[in-house]
Amino acid sequence: MSALAACASRQRRFLTAWAAALALGAGVFGLADLAWRVLPHARPLEELSYYPSGRFLEPATLGHASTAADLAWLRAVQYYGQHRTTDNQYVRMGHVFDILTALDPGFLPAYVFGSFALAQEGRDFPAAERLMLKGLAANPASGTLAFQLGFLYFVRPGGRDLARAADYFERASRQADGPPESVRFAAFARQNSGNLGAAYELWSHVERDSPNPYLREMAQREMARIREALERGRRELAMRHLTTPVVLFKSQP
Amino acid sequence: MAVRARDLSKHYVHPWTLRVTRGLEGLDLDVRRGEVLGLLGPNGAGKTTTLKLLTGLLKPTRGNAWLMGEPVESTAARRSLGFLPEQPYFYDYLNGVEYLELAGQLSGLPSATARARARHWLGRVGLGERPRLVLRKYSKGMLQRLGLAAALVHEPGLLILDEPMSGLDPFGRRDVRDLITEQRERGVTVLFSSHILPDVEMLCDRVAIVIGGRLTRVATVGELVAGGSQAVEIRCAPGAVLEIPSHWAGRVTRTQRADESIFRVEDEAQLAEVLGWLLRAKVQVRAVTPQRPTLETLFMAAAEAERQRRTA
Amino acid sequence: MIPLLIAHNTFREATRDRVVAGVVVAGLALLALTQAASPLALGEGGRLTVDLGLSGISILGLLVILLAGTSLVAKEVERRTIYNLLARPITRPAYLVGKWAGLSAALWAVAGVLGLALWGLLALRGLAGHGPAVIEGVYLAGLELTVVTALAVMFSALSTPVLSALYTLGFYVVGQWSDDLRLFAARSPKGLGTVLAGIANLVPNLPLFNMRTLAADGHTTSALHLGLATGYAAVYAACVLCLATAAFESRDFK
Repeated sequence: MSALAACASRQRRFLTAWAAALALGAGVFGLADLAWRVLPHARPLEELSYYPSGRFLEPATLGHASTAADLAWLRAVQYYGQHRTTDNQYVRMGHVFDILTALDPGFLPAYVFGSFALAQEGRDFPAAERLMLKGLAANPASGTLAFQLGFLYFVRPGGRDLARAADYFERASRQADGPPESVRFAAFARQNSGNLGAAYELWSHVERDSPNPYLREMAQREMARIREALERGRRELAMRHLTTPVVLFKSQP
Repeated sequence: MAVRARDLSKHYVHPWTLRVTRGLEGLDLDVRRGEVLGLLGPNGAGKTTTLKLLTGLLKPTRGNAWLMGEPVESTAARRSLGFLPEQPYFYDYLNGVEYLELAGQLSGLPSATARARARHWLGRVGLGERPRLVLRKYSKGMLQRLGLAAALVHEPGLLILDEPMSGLDPFGRRDVRDLITEQRERGVTVLFSSHILPDVEMLCDRVAIVIGGRLTRVATVGELVAGGSQAVEIRCAPGAVLEIPSHWAGRVTRTQRADESIFRVEDEAQLAEVLGWLLRAKVQVRAVTPQRPTLETLFMAAAEAERQRRTA
Repeated sequence: MIPLLIAHNTFREATRDRVVAGVVVAGLALLALTQAASPLALGEGGRLTVDLGLSGISILGLLVILLAGTSLVAKEVERRTIYNLLARPITRPAYLVGKWAGLSAALWAVAGVLGLALWGLLALRGLAGHGPAVIEGVYLAGLELTVVTALAVMFSALSTPVLSALYTLGFYVVGQWSDDLRLFAARSPKGLGTVLAGIANLVPNLPLFNMRTLAADGHTTSALHLGLATGYAAVYAACVLCLATAAFESRDFK
């Protein structure tokens, strides 16, 4: 074979190989697309269901537990969003947030988001309460979590738990990172649960310490109300009738 | 002495069967300063083992050795040493200059000196035209030359070379021979192993023959070849159809070629008698050539003698 | 001086090797990926960036050690390039220390580049205040890699590249569990507890170099922690290199 013919033959083989590769590549793309449309999808979040606890998962992350928690967080948020826009069924949410917070006990937003999602959309207040209490056990000095737990009790669907809400608002007010409104919320909760003495005390703190003149005025008004109710022997004069919280969905299941 | 070895031995013990293989046994060797000593032996004789023991790459099972007066275990012994291993390999991500510079600095040269010497020796071994070529693109011969340059970059007092001619074409071998000769003239001691016997004959002051892990003989080339009797070759015109007398059987042999007949007389004392016989037979004698015994012949004889000693 | 020469050469080898360059590119790609995933993190994008960034440095550094570090010495023995070195007036300990120092320097460089990129990214996100925490996280990751490199050099001096990689990975994994081993030891019967405690001390205490959780929240660690980690890394690496030297000293190069 002459050099020229050999060269042409090599070029032909080269082009044939490329053409075959491209054609097969198109086939690969098509098959993958077909499989995605036709076959049931693996749902990665479900894999976490097979783990009895995050405590056993943590050693498997080989020191990268917080990273694993972040990746689990991404999936948990997607899980919530997917079900929020479809069937409002959150069967595995409690388990997922339990694993996530076991991997990274300091991941505060996970407790807050998880608890409220469980309490509201998940309609599982006991699971929400457990998650938040777990968070407080792991982060006892967290004023943020204490306040959020107080708020959880305050908006409990089916009936507010004002006494417990007040307990945790007061706890939050004693922590360095507690929101400044904690005292005010505690006072409000105490007042509306009938504990007027404690409420008066708390309002006096607001009146004395708040930098906001409107809030100081509000505190003075409430203190006056409480004084009047106590003088007249009618506690109900100082208590407000609060509505019962319910969970509303745009489209009910 | 540049090199001294006493009872140097290396045994290998199999970790499972505990079988002992004697790589080298009881080597006693002295190499004088400024001398060129060739180490000869068949494959597996123990030449490389000897050189590795002297350079500290192997730990001796028994015995001691000194280089330039220092025990081989010490780093001081390697300060004046230039070593070329058999079929050398280098860091393939470096280029020639970088490697020689590193070699020089590791041998104690200041960096500026190492840099200058690197360029000099790279050119000296014929690799100076492409100093920035990475070593992974070097041919086998180029690597061998670079290895020599690396052994010489710090201008050592002692060179130990394992098969320095390996992988080189005739021009390369000539260059290496010239280098060794040059080093000898500078007073450098050279100890090298080789299979190429003509090179050993040309270069060495003395030859050490190692067979089966033992040093069998150390002598000058002249002493080695002097012992043998000298044969003579008589070249004659072709067509000399002569029956060699029976009383000469084994001492006179004939080789018939198309253009000549060759009579080989093993003992030169018989030369006159054989020549007379040929001239009386009206054979046209073209040349009479004495045949000195070669190192190859002596080496083969020594190897055979050792083999017979072992089987006896 | 000799260890520095060998370290410089090893650093040169590592940086000319495509593995290190590839790892840096992978690390930068990982950081870019965190920004793509940030919108999905419901406000925790900064945390995600720091966590993945620091984990990436640690894991990619381990990859370099497994691919390049475990064949550092073994490859030289295999290819016989070590003959040219050890026939010169250098000691075997100097050789090993130089090899370890060179690769460690390359890993510090990788950690530094990726750490700087991480800090820059955080600054762009308005989280420049996380800088000190990130620096500490990168520093501790560098110390962790230095310790693991010492193990890799030791195994590489004794064994083949594949086995060295397996041993190194094994020590890394068990090292990450050293705190759990201590907990088991405390709860186990006396004899077993002693053995477990011994193993926990034998393997590198890698949780000591982990402050990723703190850094993700922008918190720095204490000077005591940093001091202890630095001291531990230095002592552990030195101990491992001494063991490597002891084994390497009597090794024959056939």
